[in-house]
Amino acid sequence: MLAISAETFRQLTVDGFFRGCSYGLLGVGFALILGVTGRFHFAYGFTYTLAAYLAFTFTFRVNWPFWPSALIGVLLTAVLGALIEAKVYRPLAANAGPTALLAVFVAALGIGIAGENLIRLLWGSETQAYFGPVKTSYTLWDATFLNFDVWQGASAIAITLALAAMLRYTALGRRIKATRINPDLARTIGIDANRTYVICFFLGTICVGVAAIWYGLKYTVDPGMGTLPVVYAFVVAFLGGTASSPIRVFLMGIVVALIEQYSSIWLSVRYTQTAVFVVLVGYLTYLAIKSSAFTARFKRMKAAGA
Amino acid sequence: MSLWINYLDQILLYAALALSLNLLLGYAGQVSVAHAAFGAVGGYTMAYTAQAHGWNFLLGTLLGMVLAFVIGTLVALPALKLSVEFLILLTLAVSSVILGLLVAIPEMGGTFGLINLAPANLFGWHLQQPEDWLLPAFAAMAIVYFICHRVGESPIGRVLKGIREDPVATQALGKNVLGYKVAVFGLTSALAAFAGAMLAGWLRLATPGVFGFSFSLTIFAVVIFGGMGNLAGSVLGAAIVVLLEPVLRRVVRLEAARASLVQLIVYGLALAILMRLRPQGALPEGFSPWRWLRGQPVPTARVEMVADWVPSTVQHVGKHEDTELPIAEEVRRERAWHDAPVVLRTTGISKRFGGIIAARDLDIELRRGTITALVGPNGAGKTTVFNLLTGAIAPDTGSILLGDQELVGLNPAQVARKGMVRSFQDVRLFNRLSCMQNVMLAVQEQAGENFATLAVAHRRVVQAEAATHAKALDWLSFVGMAEFADIPAGALSYGQTKLISLARVLATEADVLLLDEPASGIDTKWVDTMLDLIEQVRDQGRTVCVVEHNLHVVGRLADHTYFMELGEITAQGTIAELTNTPRLAEVYFGTG
Repeated sequence: MLAISAETFRQLTVDGFFRGCSYGLLGVGFALILGVTGRFHFAYGFTYTLAAYLAFTFTFRVNWPFWPSALIGVLLTAVLGALIEAKVYRPLAANAGPTALLAVFVAALGIGIAGENLIRLLWGSETQAYFGPVKTSYTLWDATFLNFDVWQGASAIAITLALAAMLRYTALGRRIKATRINPDLARTIGIDANRTYVICFFLGTICVGVAAIWYGLKYTVDPGMGTLPVVYAFVVAFLGGTASSPIRVFLMGIVVALIEQYSSIWLSVRYTQTAVFVVLVGYLTYLAIKSSAFTARFKRMKAAGA
Repeated sequence: MSLWINYLDQILLYAALALSLNLLLGYAGQVSVAHAAFGAVGGYTMAYTAQAHGWNFLLGTLLGMVLAFVIGTLVALPALKLSVEFLILLTLAVSSVILGLLVAIPEMGGTFGLINLAPANLFGWHLQQPEDWLLPAFAAMAIVYFICHRVGESPIGRVLKGIREDPVATQALGKNVLGYKVAVFGLTSALAAFAGAMLAGWLRLATPGVFGFSFSLTIFAVVIFGGMGNLAGSVLGAAIVVLLEPVLRRVVRLEAARASLVQLIVYGLALAILMRLRPQGALPEGFSPWRWLRGQPVPTARVEMVADWVPSTVQHVGKHEDTELPIAEEVRRERAWHDAPVVLRTTGISKRFGGIIAARDLDIELRRGTITALVGPNGAGKTTVFNLLTGAIAPDTGSILLGDQELVGLNPAQVARKGMVRSFQDVRLFNRLSCMQNVMLAVQEQAGENFATLAVAHRRVVQAEAATHAKALDWLSFVGMAEFADIPAGALSYGQTKLISLARVLATEADVLLLDEPASGIDTKWVDTMLDLIEQVRDQGRTVCVVEHNLHVVGRLADHTYFMELGEITAQGTIAELTNTPRLAEVYFGTG
């Protein structure tokens, strides 16, 4: 095997865990949106960037304290997410009928492109330093991490558990689940599917906004920062299952981040991001084969042989 | 002037890339966001072989195309069974892997890419100035246009559109859906690599930024703007997207950096607005600007709902003029059924889904020149029988013999080609294709459905196409729908779609026809027309099996009837025998 020290391994695990909390939260939000509403919300990355930029603006241009700015930034973005559903996707999908998925995807793509460049136009294309609370680092079992990491992990876990509890125990959660399973049937028992969709967009956008604030705090903010998270959100949501519990999706986020971290043991750092996608392509190939007639035929051959 | 020529070069090269994506997205309905990545394969291969090994521009381009073809084919294989969401995800992942690898491999120049390429050498002609590139860029665009047009407007294009509209129905008509999907993915990947290599040659660099994800989205936008399924539209779309920037700079007088941002904002918003107001794009599918320029009538994609109109041209063959008593007729038909040769025989077909038994030990015989009916309560498994017979679902045990050929293990397309074709309860016409195209798609063994024939023997394809057209027209006339040939199937009334669906099944010229509720849900005035047609088909010596609820229909059509309950055949005989069985009368037919 490869020579890697226990310290390195522990550090990779800790980094992977915290990074995974972020991926997990992104995936939870995306799964909520895609799983319930069926909208291919590719402008998710734009809402990520916007949340960070709004928080940044309130802190450094309006001179509000850090935490209220972050909160307002996230909430405003969530309202925008809900508006995109109500004012763009819904009329579009109603109009497009059977090709709604593609129509919404294209419109989302358009909003994403326009939004990112609007941010560049308003705030400039350069990277902005973003800071608030004092950064401190801790060391535990030879692994170092930041206070931001802890907050990020704690808030991500808290939001995921809250969503899971909401889905499980509240009337709203039951409405969301009913709509996810069959929107038409849900309508017949008096559930307003349109309102449920808007709520899902609001909640999903909160997830993405929170993830963006922690990212900005830990690193910097720049207009292109939303490109990669949307891809990870996408991957995690699909691997976890868009119709499954937020907890499962969240754990899948941690798995993806750990794969990414551990792959650096065998691969040069340059290849780690690619490794995640190679795993994804492999997984999709596996899904395709699993669902295809090959397996059916194989099973039958086995049955005939037995 | 040189600047505008540069824009023209750019339009032509973007158009080349967009055209290849249009064949994939507009015709075959496969959503790929990896197109720029395949362009990168071509661009980087050309750049690397030229810079590191001194290869000629064209040779490197060719190698890039081969590589892209191989990768594209491999990507398409798992895409076989994936739904649209997964296909987007898969192509996104593939795009990330390709770009990630290009950035990571040191020989490819990392994040800086390969820059300062020597001017491309085209047979001793060094392409340096924008003017030099005008001709090669135009040629590249023209080649891609030609190939996409040749494929897209051929019988293959028709199959691709069928896959776009309804892959299950396309497969049920005997088309190798997987084969076509893989081939078109490979072909368009190779064409993208070709366009990418030209683009890199023109820019004299290949960088991750040039071929990045945002470029994929731009090309995607070009296709959407121009109109999916319309090749001329993609050229127009490229012009719109490329020229937006200079227009903003010169007409609106924005500074360069702002202009490129505003350009992206404008086309991003335009995408969202376009999807709402004009989802078919600038030039809708089927619109030909050349015909329009010449003042010829242009078929519009959207037509008004055609009034529910009963075809009058159906010839009513006399069957009832002899004054036989109905019961005597039944006995005669049952006897005829027993004398007729068996065409299809299943033995011991069973299928379980978990704990649910969908089919248990089915022994069914279909006989030549007769109509066999499958009746039973909802959920008895009648449609499942069709799925099992056609290979849509593989049985757990048992055998299905068509003549002396075993069908178990074949997919629906293979079963259809062996001569057994089904219709669908939910009709499944190709809504955006005309009725004529719907029926033409069903004709078997078309010369133009083969890529090789299409490439080398165009004349043969044209001749075969005329024959296919004539055949399809015959079948449309047979069901009395010839006047509707040019109308999109989506504009028909429900009863009319059932007739087209029958014509489509008949046009396969299959021996055995499985008709799933051919007369249900349609207006009573249509039912007699439909039944007349089915009887004529029987009298032509074909073997017919119908699933039907309506006892009036079964009574009139069936020579022999199987009664199914919970996946089992519990009775068979004439419909009179079945309705007179006290138990069945109680559970299903009603004692009234």
